[in-house]
Amino acid sequence: MVATALERLATWRSRGTRASEQTVKHGLTVLEDGGLKKLGDEAWNFLEQLTLASLDIGRLDIADECLEQLTEGFPGSPRVECLKGLRIEADNKPIEAIRFYEAALQEDDTNAALWKRKIAVLRSLGSQNVSQAVEELTIYLDTFYTDVEAWIELADVYAELNLYSLSLQALSHVLILASQNPFYVLRFAETAYTAGDIPLAHKMFLRVIDMDEPEGSKSNATKRAWWGVKLTAGRLLSSPNTPSESKTQPPSSDHLRLLDELATERLAESYRSTSVTPQGQGRDVILAWLGGRKR
Amino acid sequence: MATYILSHPAYAKILLHAAKYPHAPVNGVLIGKKSNGSNSIVIEDAVPLLHMWTSLSPMMEIGLDLAGTHAEALGLQLLGYYQATERLDDTALAPVGERVVSKIKEKFSDAIALVVDGEKIGSGEAALIPYLPAGSSNTWRPQPANSNFSLANAKSPLRVLSLIREQSLHEKIGDFDDHLEDVSIDWLKNAACADKDFNA
Repeated sequence: MVATALERLATWRSRGTRASEQTVKHGLTVLEDGGLKKLGDEAWNFLEQLTLASLDIGRLDIADECLEQLTEGFPGSPRVECLKGLRIEADNKPIEAIRFYEAALQEDDTNAALWKRKIAVLRSLGSQNVSQAVEELTIYLDTFYTDVEAWIELADVYAELNLYSLSLQALSHVLILASQNPFYVLRFAETAYTAGDIPLAHKMFLRVIDMDEPEGSKSNATKRAWWGVKLTAGRLLSSPNTPSESKTQPPSSDHLRLLDELATERLAESYRSTSVTPQGQGRDVILAWLGGRKR
Repeated sequence: MATYILSHPAYAKILLHAAKYPHAPVNGVLIGKKSNGSNSIVIEDAVPLLHMWTSLSPMMEIGLDLAGTHAEALGLQLLGYYQATERLDDTALAPVGERVVSKIKEKFSDAIALVVDGEKIGSGEAALIPYLPAGSSNTWRPQPANSNFSLANAKSPLRVLSLIREQSLHEKIGDFDDHLEDVSIDWLKNAACADKDFNA
């Protein structure tokens, strides 16, 4: 029992899986059977994992127990400080949590995790604190320029505020820092579309497809990108003079027609095998859309 | 003024969608029809759309198109929009929601938006706040309780709570985002989640 529980928990730790309910279930098995001793140095990582999972599902009693042991083992550790902050957040005391993070940052302003928690809490406080969250993120990114996650967060805040051009700017930093991830390019394409730059969106959807494995294991980014190609090709064919803030040249209409056909074919292909797709109407609706989209 | 009645399957799907992605905003559309003659609008079903990038429009546009065609095939139409956020106390209709419901309003003048009220989910009351346009504008305002909005079945909220807590039915619902990853997910009908037997 304990052995399987430990194995599961270790896998989730290494993959960063957020299976909180299951984590707590297995974690309790380990604690009850005295498995902590068997873990050696891994015990601390386990306790951290269990703290986070218990906070997630509101088992504050377990979190407190873990935190007590962690604080004893690592007094003043920045990682434990961050958990303590999360514990205050779990009590639904955001203002207190922000004060806690600020105090901890005065001790050590290079602790990126504390910075990011503070920003996350500011965001959670709703619209009146958004501008402060943006400000803090900008300051943070001045120091931690290579933090892709934070650039994405900034892009997210801007998109929520309907500021799609600024969102796109933030994402362009993401593309510089992590140019090999098709999901970032996909997100850039969808944001460009929302910002009204259809030629740029079209180009970026195609780039997602280019980036992926030529055959075989196609990632989910590619599937979504084909929908994007279909949508943007249709838009560009029906209004060829669509403006582009980035001055991106759309392909010729002959080329667009070919891309539109190719996208239709690729998408229809995934619905052809009747064994995996829902029967009847769901499939018909999609095939009809692919075939007869008005332009 | 029009009155709105929300069916049990529609209520269930909205809440199951919110429960499946508690850490993310989710949205979708409402389908149904306005009965001839009277001013009563029956929301028969909900079609869940997005949970990933709810502020971005390309997949929303496609999803709306597809949901509209689906509704027409059933003799119904798009009546409105729903959303839930990851924050319990945030019940404001997001800018993207205003945009989508205003677009639905172009074709259906009595369009309505529903926002999940996170604080009420556990209470057994209807955990939804209806939004309607102020006058003829496209500014959407929350409507007071006991306005012209009601559930077809007053027991829906408690029933849905038990579907989530006891049967984990929220794990079975799929939206258009899910479908884009796995085409076998039946996001338009979500037959597994309709809970059609419940008619007490």
